[in-house]
This record gives sequence, structure tokens and C-alpha cells, in this order.
Amino acid sequence: MKLLDWASKFSRRGFLAGGATAIAAVAVTGPAVLADPEATPRAEPQGLEPEQTRVLLKFVHDLFPHDRLADSFYAKAIAPLEDEAAKDSSARKLLADGVGRLNRLAMAAGGTGYADLADEKARVAIIKQIEGGAFFSKVYGTTLVTLYNQPEVWPLFGYEGPSSDKGGYLHRGFNDIDWL
Amino acid sequence: MPAKFDLNDLSVVVIVGSGAGGGVLANELAKKGISVVVLEAGKRVEITDFRNDEVAMFSLFTWLDPRTTSGSWSVAKTSADLPIWTCKLVGGTTVHWGACALRFQEHEFKTKTRYGDIGGANLLDWPIDLNEMAPYYDRAELRMGVTGTHGIPRLPASNHGTVLFAGAKKVGYTKFQTTNMAINPVPRDGRASCQQTGFCVQGCTFGAKWSTLYIDIPQAEATGKAEVRAESQVLRVEHDASGKVNAVVYADESGTLQRQKARAVAVAANSIESPRLLLNSSSSMFPQGLANSSGQVGRNYMRHTTGAVFAVYEKPVHMYRGTAQSGIVMDEARLDPTRGFVGGYQFELLPQGLPSFSQTIIPGGWGRDRAWIVDNYTNLAGLWIIGEDLPRDTNRITLHPDKKDKFGMPIPNIHCDDHPNDVAMRNHGYKQADALYTSIGAKKTVHVSPYPSTHNMGTNRMSEKPADGVVNRFGQAHDVKNLFVSDGSQFVSSGGENPTLTIVALAIRQAEYIADQMTKGAI
Repeated sequence: MKLLDWASKFSRRGFLAGGATAIAAVAVTGPAVLADPEATPRAEPQGLEPEQTRVLLKFVHDLFPHDRLADSFYAKAIAPLEDEAAKDSSARKLLADGVGRLNRLAMAAGGTGYADLADEKARVAIIKQIEGGAFFSKVYGTTLVTLYNQPEVWPLFGYEGPSSDKGGYLHRGFNDIDWL
Repeated sequence: MPAKFDLNDLSVVVIVGSGAGGGVLANELAKKGISVVVLEAGKRVEITDFRNDEVAMFSLFTWLDPRTTSGSWSVAKTSADLPIWTCKLVGGTTVHWGACALRFQEHEFKTKTRYGDIGGANLLDWPIDLNEMAPYYDRAELRMGVTGTHGIPRLPASNHGTVLFAGAKKVGYTKFQTTNMAINPVPRDGRASCQQTGFCVQGCTFGAKWSTLYIDIPQAEATGKAEVRAESQVLRVEHDASGKVNAVVYADESGTLQRQKARAVAVAANSIESPRLLLNSSSSMFPQGLANSSGQVGRNYMRHTTGAVFAVYEKPVHMYRGTAQSGIVMDEARLDPTRGFVGGYQFELLPQGLPSFSQTIIPGGWGRDRAWIVDNYTNLAGLWIIGEDLPRDTNRITLHPDKKDKFGMPIPNIHCDDHPNDVAMRNHGYKQADALYTSIGAKKTVHVSPYPSTHNMGTNRMSEKPADGVVNRFGQAHDVKNLFVSDGSQFVSSGGENPTLTIVALAIRQAEYIADQMTKGAI
């Protein structure tokens, strides 16, 4: 449970500032919680290497393996980690060291880097070795929020999200169950 | 118009907190012509600030000041940084609450008598009973507009409720229905009707749900007798040489310390902050903390015995559609020790949006098995076990020896160990919920350990004898006659019911008493 992460990552002041938005505008404005990668240029040179990002992506996909989700959603989920790595050398070191460890464990297990280790069971066994550590906790705690709190992801799971601006579910199926 | 009182005005009743207890007490006293100053630690937001966004509203509402926890309860492991989930804003936790408005049962007021001596539990009878509370429950239900009472119709069943009821019927339960809820099924009392948005916990954008934020607080202000000061955290309650309280010291919105004089003080800051404030108000006259000659301030902390169960079906349920908690099964709420525990529990619907659900379904969980559950999100049904938690004097709120908040006030530590009765009840609830859901075809059920506590009770309990508790039958401190406790920390037992209705009923009753005592010149 990382409820507190919600709060620490997404400051309440930010929400209050946007809070004057009328209810009707909620659907349009969407969540302010996710940085839009296209709108926020990242300082790539100081951040993670592309190969490190590739390992991180694979790792997050293994944590939350939803075949219905395109890689782009995972990429968006790790964007805040990349941003942090670009700004903060200790965060970069934590992530780079973690990726390095994943690669070393993969090399020992299958003779390749983590991202190229084809056997999912082998990758899962590697994750079990690092579970609970600082790198695991950092990535897990962040992406558990940033993966599932993307409004574009919600319809793929059948979640319809905000409803007030549509008049709630009163006339949109709150009691339409037909299989009982 | 809101009143504006001088800091040196000795005629005001200061109320600490603006939630179910403080907000209602303020409204009741102001309507009786009594001057009140409400000091609320949190911000003031309005309905227009509410959004159907679980993450954003969590950040906006939640009391996030640091707290520590200890003990063997699972929350100390799964949510050590946030053991308690209550709110910090005007309206308090009534902004966030699910609006289940249930009366306590007769036996829950008399646990010592009815349950007998139970090792490791600090049972005590309430100094009041259901009969005495009944007229105040009536008034609370009428003001809050509780469905299923006083001719107010019930809300319609959602898909999610329909699944719960079908399973309940299949396993032979008979006491299930849409819950008594403080949510308008039809427009009433100037409030709109429920639109089945599903975002009750994120703040009702239609105002169909009762909350002191937009009901009692504005009503109190409209009398011209109430002033609400937001972002004003009370740090100490002070007293005079005779031992009567006469002022509170608080940090205002700029962090500046202020001293508001007071004729009486009512503490209604929830069961963590209220004892914290009393403990932090120790003096040479009250070395153990204000109103703490019994040593019971902070003790007997009760949350509810909880846990959640989610079931995966073949076909869609869409649990997120509709009034969040509008379904209940009450068959297990009875007192029946043959089940292996005293007290009882309810099943209440627990829908979650995808962000919340994916966060909490398996704390720390990952991999294919977990992903499969989330993949079945539309086909899920879920319920919450809410049962009576026994008081233990070792389950308690204490002041942290070293850590302080930004105003220099020691942060609270919440210590809790499950009583064996809690464990037996929770396991019984898991088993019964499994039976209920699988009886109508669930493919799989998932047990979720307790969430951060939203129901917090008992840390300044009532007692007939001053040695057994902190306050008397009116919430008046045994040791200090013009000091009151007006929140769930007065509770002597936790019952198997959501606490808010009882908090409101007690506040209405307490307001009568305070007004009477003021008229008589006793305080």
C-alpha cells in the first residue's frame, strides 16, 4: 500500500490551484497528476541511458504485465522516474544501480541483459531476488500510481472514470446488470 | 453572516474541529444563540473544488501530517506512513465519508455487562443506553436525511448491490438492503438527489451527501453567531488557577501563534488528534495531560475490525457505477458468541475506481496473478467487513518522544495490537464473504488486509466513574467542567456500525447540555 505516495508526489497545493475549475471541465482538463512527456522536455543527457530505460520498461512491464496495454503506457508510467533521474543524481544512481543488478542477475541466469532475457519465469525469479529493496520499492511505488492513473488506460480496463459531468450513472447503467 | 470574534472575547465556546462532531455542535450551539469559534486545522474548500479523481482528492482531503505507528496490527506493515485515513479540511471526514448512517445496537452500549470479562480487553458499559439515545438518533437522521428512516425512501440498488444481495439470499441471509444512508434519494432540505456518480468518497459534487462542509457550517455562520477559522491548528488548551479551561493556543494560517480566550472548549478533532491535544496540554495542575487524572486519555483506541473481499465473476458488474456504499448485509451484526467471538459485523459494499483498486488490492503485489485480477476489473464485486473492535488499554495514542510537527507539537504514535476476538471475527467475515460470493458463481475471491483506519474511536471515553474514563455521559470532562469532547473519541465501544451517526446524535445531545449548563451558570 502506497497511498501516501499519492500525496507526496502530487502536491495538494497543485490541486487547489486547479480546484476552481468547474465540474463540467473535469473531463476536459483531465488529471493534472501526470506529466505530459511531450509537453515537458527532458534533459536526456543527464538522465538514464536509453539502454537503462529499456531495462526499466521491461521491469515495470513484468511487475504489471497487462497484455492489453501498449508499451507507450509503460513508457508514460516511468517518465516521472526518468525526470527524477535527470534532476537528481542520487535518484539516477539508485535507478542505474538497480538496472545494473537486474542485468547482472540476468547474465548469470541466461547470458543476456534483463531486457533480452526471453524467459518470463526467469525474469520473475530475478525480481523475487530484489523484491523489497530500495530500487524495487522506488520503481514499484511510483509506477503503481502512474500506470493506472492514466485516463487513457482506464477504458482498456473497462473503467469509465469521471461521471459527474455526464450526470453520474443514474441514466447510464448503474443498475443494468442482467446475468443474475 | 459569519461572526467575527475578538481573541480576548471570553464569552465564546471554542470548538476544535469542524467534522461530524464539531460541525454539528457548532451549528446547534449557534442556533441556540451561543457564540462559537470553530478552529479547523485544515483548509476550506468548496463543492466546486471536488473532482471525480481519486488521486487528486486523496491529496486534497487527507490528513497527511506525519504520524508513527507500532504494534502487531497489519496496518503497521502495509501502511506505516499513513496508519490513519481521515481528513484535514473544513467539514473534516464528513467530506470523505461513505454516508452509511447506522444506529448502534442495544447490546453495543453495554459490552461489559453483555460480553462479560474478556481477557486483554478493557470493556466498560456506556453510561447511556440505546433508549436514551433514540430521540437523538431520530434528530440526527432527520437533519442528515437518512434513507430508510422517517419516511425517507431508500436508494435504488446498483449492479454492485444487486450482486451482494443475490449472494446474501443464496447463502440464507435475510437482512440485506440498500443501507441507511445520509444521501438524498430525492431532493430534500435544499439538497439535490443522488445521481449515482460513484465518487462519494471524493466529495459529492452534487451535494446529495450530508457533510458539515456545506450544510452545518454555512447554517451556523448564517446565524451570525459562529466564526470558522480554517488552517488554524490548536496546539494547547490552557486553564486558569481554578482548573477551568480559559483559552486555546493555535497556529493560524500564517503559522503565527494566537491565543483565543474561551468560556468553554469542545475538542472534536478525531480520535487521534483529540487525545494528542489533551496530552500536549499538560501543566503543573494536570501533569499527565489535561483531563487525564484517570490515565485513560489516549487509551482504548478502537478502529473497526475490518478487511475486504473482492470476487471475480465471468460477466460485468461495473462496481464503480452508483452510490459507493449503498448495500449492506446485517445478518452477522448480531451478538452470537457461538461463532467464536463477541460483537458482530456488517458487510458493506466497497467499490473502488481503477486507481484505488490497483493500489490496494494486494499490498506490495506484482506479477501475472495480480495482473489477472486487475484485468478483470469490470467483473469484480467487493465488500468491506466492518465489525466491533474491542477496547484495550494498551492500544493507545501517545505523544512521540522526539518527533515534532512544523509547529513544534509532538506527533502522535498509534499503537495497536489485534485482540484475538478481532482476528476470529475477521476470519469469520472472510469465510462468510467467500461463501456469499462463490454461491453465485465467483471464479476467485481475494482477501485484502485492513486499510488505513478511517473509523477511529475511544481514546477519550465516557464513563460513569471518573476513574474509568475521561468524560461523563454528556462528553464533559470529569476533571474540567467546561471542557468537552465531541467526537468519536468519547465512544466506549466501537459497535459494528459506522460511527458518524452516533457522533452526530451525541453532538446534538451535548449541545442541549452545554446550553443548559450555560443558562444555569454552571459553566
